Amino acid sequence: MKVRVENLVFSYPNFTLEVAGQTFVDARVTSIVGPNGAGKSTFLKCLAAVLPAPRRSVFVNGNDLADLKGRSRARHVGYVPQEPALSFNYTVLDFVLTGRAASIPVFSSPSRHDFEAAEEALRFVGLADFSARTYFELSSGERRLVLIARTLAQRPDILLLDEPTTFLDPRHEVEILELVRRLAGEMNKTVIVTLHDLDMAVKYSDEMVFMKGGRVVASGPPADILNESLLRSVYDIEMGILNVAGRRLIVR
Amino acid sequence: MSGTRNKKRTAAFILAAVLPVVILILSLNIGAYRIPPKAVFTTILGAVFPGGGNAQPSPYADILFRIRLPRLLLALFAGAALAVSGASLQALFKNPLVFEFSLGISYGAAFGAALSLVFLGRKIPPQAAAFVFAIVAVLAVLVIAGKSASHVVTILLSGVIVSALFQALLSLVEFFANPYALQSLIFWLMGSLAQAEWSDLGITLPIIGVGVTVLILLRWRLNVLSLGDDEARALGVNVSREKVVVIVLAALTTAAATAVTGVINWVGLIVPHLVRMAVGADNRKVIPLSAAYGASLLLVADDIARSAASFEIPIGILTSVVGIPFFIVLLKKSGKIWL
Repeated sequence: MKVRVENLVFSYPNFTLEVAGQTFVDARVTSIVGPNGAGKSTFLKCLAAVLPAPRRSVFVNGNDLADLKGRSRARHVGYVPQEPALSFNYTVLDFVLTGRAASIPVFSSPSRHDFEAAEEALRFVGLADFSARTYFELSSGERRLVLIARTLAQRPDILLLDEPTTFLDPRHEVEILELVRRLAGEMNKTVIVTLHDLDMAVKYSDEMVFMKGGRVVASGPPADILNESLLRSVYDIEMGILNVAGRRLIVR
Repeated sequence: MSGTRNKKRTAAFILAAVLPVVILILSLNIGAYRIPPKAVFTTILGAVFPGGGNAQPSPYADILFRIRLPRLLLALFAGAALAVSGASLQALFKNPLVFEFSLGISYGAAFGAALSLVFLGRKIPPQAAAFVFAIVAVLAVLVIAGKSASHVVTILLSGVIVSALFQALLSLVEFFANPYALQSLIFWLMGSLAQAEWSDLGITLPIIGVGVTVLILLRWRLNVLSLGDDEARALGVNVSREKVVVIVLAALTTAAATAVTGVINWVGLIVPHLVRMAVGADNRKVIPLSAAYGASLLLVADDIARSAASFEIPIGILTSVVGIPFFIVLLKKSGKIWL
């Protein structure tokens, strides 16, 4: 199972995303990093079909993403957005159940099977006791977990997470990233995640994709591609890389 | 805590099943001409089982079946229509403060119906004309609001603009109407169930029945749509198609009601909010309960309109007098948890 990108071009009025070629394989965590405005989220949304990528540019498990509709697409790709502003105060269980939308006919309501899927997803993220709480009562960290649970309830092969750790304190940041690793490790999902924190990205990803100005500058395992000249060219500031106790730390 | 919530929820459902029927039966007793409860009972019995017991047709049959029953059925259906389309539109627009009025649908529909009544002599049924302009109104609101259609204030402002336009067009119809038509037009606009006749209800009630039923079937889907377009799309939903279905159904049911009742506002806002306060935000509960409580509310409002004074108070004025303070409180509290 994998995602393959070939000559993807997507334009806003004053921004163009251009990815010549990129592959994401299963049971791996790939982080997309780069400065603000590099096109990380746009790239991720194209992979999630939240933004319409042109025909023959994104392939998931061998299928052209542009040809996949509704239910079949939802089985392949699941998208975890940044913390959304909900207008209605749903319970955690009702919220996670919406992840089942693609499997539930338009005029139907969730079945027992759908409830089981939602509860299982909540257990996986460690919020089994939270079903009856309401979304507005949750902390920011808990909301991120609930968002991931919803996408798990959808049961896609590929999980795309848009900045799941932004604005979280260190404990919750680590909690989310440990969970992200389990998605790839225990569930064999293809996990693609946009991140801001470079140290965390280095620590938790199998592969990294560096972006700048709508293009991919470098990609590969962190150990192979990470060096000071790459960081300088991507972020336009001097950064050093320290080796401390077997870990590589980036200092500004 | 969840125990009391569950009790509240069960109570809300039991009440919902019983309340409209009880109020309907009690309402048959109320009116300018007082009919004793026992006579109401025997008259209904006589109609249901003709030839059984007293062969003599009840002297009250005419009042009950030609005047009161159509009016009460209209209140029942119109109340359900307004509350359910209000609740559905709130979910669809991701905005707890929209309803038929704030989206311009009410006055769009009123203008369409007035056109048919005054100028076309009903050659096009008022329900159909009301529907066309209800759709025009909601499309206009969407165009004006543009990309920020999910923003609370933007959509309310766009609705105000479109409503103002259709109110002006209504004034134009009034201006050109002959004095006789003008008088009935003005009373109808204030909102009244007094003009309920079986001939109109033959069109209106089936439309509302179908529209409300389909919206109730879509109740869980509205949870998904209320997350916003991008999210619903990412969850595998055909957002634009389902949005069109909900908007058309909401406009259709509102138009069918408005064409007969005139403008009855605020039911679509008050009822869904009260229901959410009682049972939470899940539309699987909110939509069907809104139908039951909307129907009950309008029946009671109409009872008050008919019996509180020596003359009949236009029901649209009643619902506005109650609804506007309610709306102000909601605006002040918006952001509170039941939203």
